[in-house]
Amino acid sequence: MTTLRAFTCDDLFKFNNIQAFLNFLSQYGIPFYLQYLAHWPEYFIVAEAPGGELMGYIMGKAEGSVAREEWHGHVTALSVAPEFRRLGLAAKLMEMLEEISERKGGFFVDLFVRVSNQVAVNMYKQLGYSVYRTVIEYYSASNGEPDEDAYDMRKALSRDTERKSIIPIPHPVRPEDIE
Amino acid sequence: MAARGHVQDPNDRRLRPIYDYLDNGNNKMAIQQADKLLKKHKDLHCAKVLKAIGLQRTGKQDEAFSLAQEVATLEPTDDNSLQALTILYREMHRPELVTKLYEAAVKKVPLSEEYHSHLFMAYARVGEYKKMQQAGMALYKTVPKNPYYFWSVMSLVMQAISAQDEKLAQTMFLPLAERMVEKMVKEEKIEAEAEVQLYFMILERLGKYVEALDMVRGPLGEKLTSELQSRENKCMMMYQRLQLWPECNALSYKLLLKNPDEWQFYLSYFDSLFHLMDKSWSPPNEEEHCVEGPVHTTVAEAVKFVVDRMEEEDKKDSRPLRGPYMACLELIHRLRQRGCPDEEELGDPLELMLQFFGKFGDKPCCITDLKIYLHLLPPEQHTQFENRLGELVPLGEVGEDGFGFPGDTKALQRHLCVCQLSRVLGLQHTLDTEGKLCLITELKAHYHYGLQFGKSCLKTELQFSDTYCLMVAHVYIDLWTETGDENMLWQCLGVLEEGLSYSPSNAQFKLLLLLLFCRLGAFQPVVDLYSSLDAKHVQHDTIGYLLTRYAGSLGQFAAASQSYNFSLRFFHSNQKDTSEYIIQAYKYGAFEKIPEFIAFRTRLNQSLHFAQVRTERMLLDLYTEADITSSLEESVKAMGLCPEEDDIPWDNMRDNRDLTVLFSWDPKDRELTEEHRRLSLEEESVWLKVRSLTLRLLASLALLGHAPSKRNSDKTNENGVSAKSSTLQTLLSQLDLTLQTAAQITEKQTQYPFLGPPSSRLASALSSGSCHCQASALQLSLTLQELETTGLDDSSELQTQICNSFKSLIVQLQELLSRCKGDVLEMKDSRLMTQPSLLETLVFFVEPVVLSGFQEWTGSLQGIVTQALDHVKGQEASLTALKLAALTLGVGHAQTQEECGFTRAAMDKVQTSYLGSLQELGDLLRKRADSLKSLKF
Repeated sequence: MTTLRAFTCDDLFKFNNIQAFLNFLSQYGIPFYLQYLAHWPEYFIVAEAPGGELMGYIMGKAEGSVAREEWHGHVTALSVAPEFRRLGLAAKLMEMLEEISERKGGFFVDLFVRVSNQVAVNMYKQLGYSVYRTVIEYYSASNGEPDEDAYDMRKALSRDTERKSIIPIPHPVRPEDIE
Repeated sequence: MAARGHVQDPNDRRLRPIYDYLDNGNNKMAIQQADKLLKKHKDLHCAKVLKAIGLQRTGKQDEAFSLAQEVATLEPTDDNSLQALTILYREMHRPELVTKLYEAAVKKVPLSEEYHSHLFMAYARVGEYKKMQQAGMALYKTVPKNPYYFWSVMSLVMQAISAQDEKLAQTMFLPLAERMVEKMVKEEKIEAEAEVQLYFMILERLGKYVEALDMVRGPLGEKLTSELQSRENKCMMMYQRLQLWPECNALSYKLLLKNPDEWQFYLSYFDSLFHLMDKSWSPPNEEEHCVEGPVHTTVAEAVKFVVDRMEEEDKKDSRPLRGPYMACLELIHRLRQRGCPDEEELGDPLELMLQFFGKFGDKPCCITDLKIYLHLLPPEQHTQFENRLGELVPLGEVGEDGFGFPGDTKALQRHLCVCQLSRVLGLQHTLDTEGKLCLITELKAHYHYGLQFGKSCLKTELQFSDTYCLMVAHVYIDLWTETGDENMLWQCLGVLEEGLSYSPSNAQFKLLLLLLFCRLGAFQPVVDLYSSLDAKHVQHDTIGYLLTRYAGSLGQFAAASQSYNFSLRFFHSNQKDTSEYIIQAYKYGAFEKIPEFIAFRTRLNQSLHFAQVRTERMLLDLYTEADITSSLEESVKAMGLCPEEDDIPWDNMRDNRDLTVLFSWDPKDRELTEEHRRLSLEEESVWLKVRSLTLRLLASLALLGHAPSKRNSDKTNENGVSAKSSTLQTLLSQLDLTLQTAAQITEKQTQYPFLGPPSSRLASALSSGSCHCQASALQLSLTLQELETTGLDDSSELQTQICNSFKSLIVQLQELLSRCKGDVLEMKDSRLMTQPSLLETLVFFVEPVVLSGFQEWTGSLQGIVTQALDHVKGQEASLTALKLAALTLGVGHAQTQEECGFTRAAMDKVQTSYLGSLQELGDLLRKRADSLKSLKF
């Protein structure tokens, strides 16, 4: 049980409330959030518990060329506080992002995930996503860890009747080769 | 940096190398290249501007500015120059100059869509709403595109929002905006969703809810498609504003049938239901109840609705939703509030909560959910509830130590939930010391047992059993605060250090350790803990207080300075960041976000913490550097301090601190209350006032001190001096008043919950005598100043007064110093004892000494400083001599070898940190003493 609503700037002040998970929202700077709020406010949704705690959020955008049938919804960030995991919240937020992308006439929804993040990869598979291609060294190194590859995962939307957009590309690509 | 698409233009080709140098950060070469180019092509204005950018970036602001103005006065109309100047002005933080630039360009090239649009955005950057409105219209007239028209409309809305006079907003700006939109509606020119959104915003702000509702339900509303449930949400909002409870109820009902987990609609469903009952509303005969469908008007209907929802969930094969079960508890809560007997039909809250626990007890959020409704249980049921919950937790067979353990993480989560509930119900708090120690043993056993489930956890993940560890720490804190036994505190630190070793990214461990070290006066370990939290952006505002409250007050000046800088960097970048995205919001038609971004910026600018770090940062510099590395006057000037100016928004101060960031399971009566929040803000504000007045007084003294030297040569300056000394007088009496208020506040002796806000420095500043010492020193300076103006001949009275003030100030300082005496760390009967307040008092002693040094009265002061130094040296020596290894740990309470190791590590950290503080304080005093010696009276 959750209140799902548009993310607002004031939510930035509340993100510490999440038990044992201070770094919930801190991977990006303020400009990043403001940019999404200014450009794709409808794609930025927050889930709130009855006690007012923030449970999680999703942040996305619409991009790509319509003519080349690449117009699609993109999941930029999806995060659920540990305290509110195993409630199906991530699935709910993904469903909403897909619905928004449907309405915008997108051909598919895509996202990037660390190859090593098996939990997330499996979750997305359960939600109907499949690996479209591997992007080499998409995640840059930090804290002495090496660069890491990403899976570009996709799920076709109803506009892509033949599900052409998700036919896997067998060869890995470099980050500079993706849009 | 600039658009360089057209290679055809020979100028572009010539300029390119300069752009490249600038892009690569090679400013010197950029300047050289520009000079070379300008020799051949004198009129290539853009080269001048690019050179100016290079100069600006190498710190030659003045030169850069005059070069830029040379070009600007020519009113350039070429793209390159305009864009380069825009970049330059932005880097100079002079966005208002960009508006002048494009005003001129638009005059010369009136048909340029691009320049008009740049002009609009330039106004947007500086918030010139009226000019934006005009620029938007001018743009629309040049190129009739809808977005331009609506930029202009939005600028009217912004004039309304920013208007001081609400009447002006309601009678002029908003109605005009409304008419502008209506015109487009009539002409059927509305194209985009953003335009409808803006129309809705205007109607809403005008209070025209009926019109807004009609609009949303009508054909225009069909454009509201981007956001999910956009129309429904807007309708709901209007129903609530208009108190159309039947519609509100029916819509909530409809939405809940579709999604029985949407909490906000349960709330609006219940709200509207009770409003309708209060009004005895009944549906009109033989008609549909209302446009939204059937309406519920009786408790019986609501009960049935909720019970049906629960049954639906019970029947489901998939994961049940929590919503309906929580709604049931919410309904009981509301019925009870109204004294309505029907709650029985929903069942006994105890049974319902047990049922909830049965279904969701293995989810970490179960505690957060049930916590809200624990008040439904009468106190006499608490123990029964705990026992019944316990029966629902599958634990293994009881072993030698008398405990049974969970077999998997789900069982562990259930057990943990019961422990947490027991604490929230206050059952842990009522245990006696023995009972609490037993509880600690049990929780520790569970903690260690549970670690096996997280063996494969990544470093970034939390251990399943972390919460046990945190709870052990909380019980230790209970014991420490109740019995005063510092051993409990040391063991608490030990257990948290241990927890962190298994779960290095547990923020709650870090936060609690941080708090405890601060309370112990040991700031050194706090620096690392805080940096490992990796606090970013807004967190510098919301949790920065944890760091900045203690940094300076414990004598760790270098760390203090660094922590202020972290926060300040964030606050300063906020201004620039937000204007950029306000502009983007116009571009993308996210009109709703524009006032939101501005409110966000304001909230940060008016932040209490921002004002605090700003003030403390400057005070710290003056206390630690003035008259040592540079004169006080130079320091004040370098800071751009103006004593007459008060830049703190006292009446609109925003307390953005997150005071519940430390997780607590304390029962309701021990929780942080609104009153605590109010008192804490009040206390912090008064302390801030004391500090900011002290700062302004120091500044005013420093600038005054400069004036007399010129007095003889320039008679007219005397007026200036007296004006300044009257500022000083005013500030001094303000300080006096503030100190009176402060005394009243500290009399209240407000105690906050342990995990709540730390007390401000106000109480100790007053009780140590530091505040009055500073005030006396400042008063003395003022009198000295008077003496200088009066001249030595006719001032025997003044001289006597000064003499007496000197003496009394020395006495005050002596008293302050005597309060610093004692051992910060001591070993007694194999126990380690701390007195962190001594450190804090020592810092309070050092501050007025700085002031006194400024007054050049050396003899007796030197004596005191020497005494203080001796004391610090003595403390350092005895601290170093303390051999903590000699402590036998674990006496009286069983601690394993490993646990003792963690406790010992924590003790070492405290000892080292004390030494560090003493060394910094000693250094500062020594420098102070040296500069005193070198002064000639």
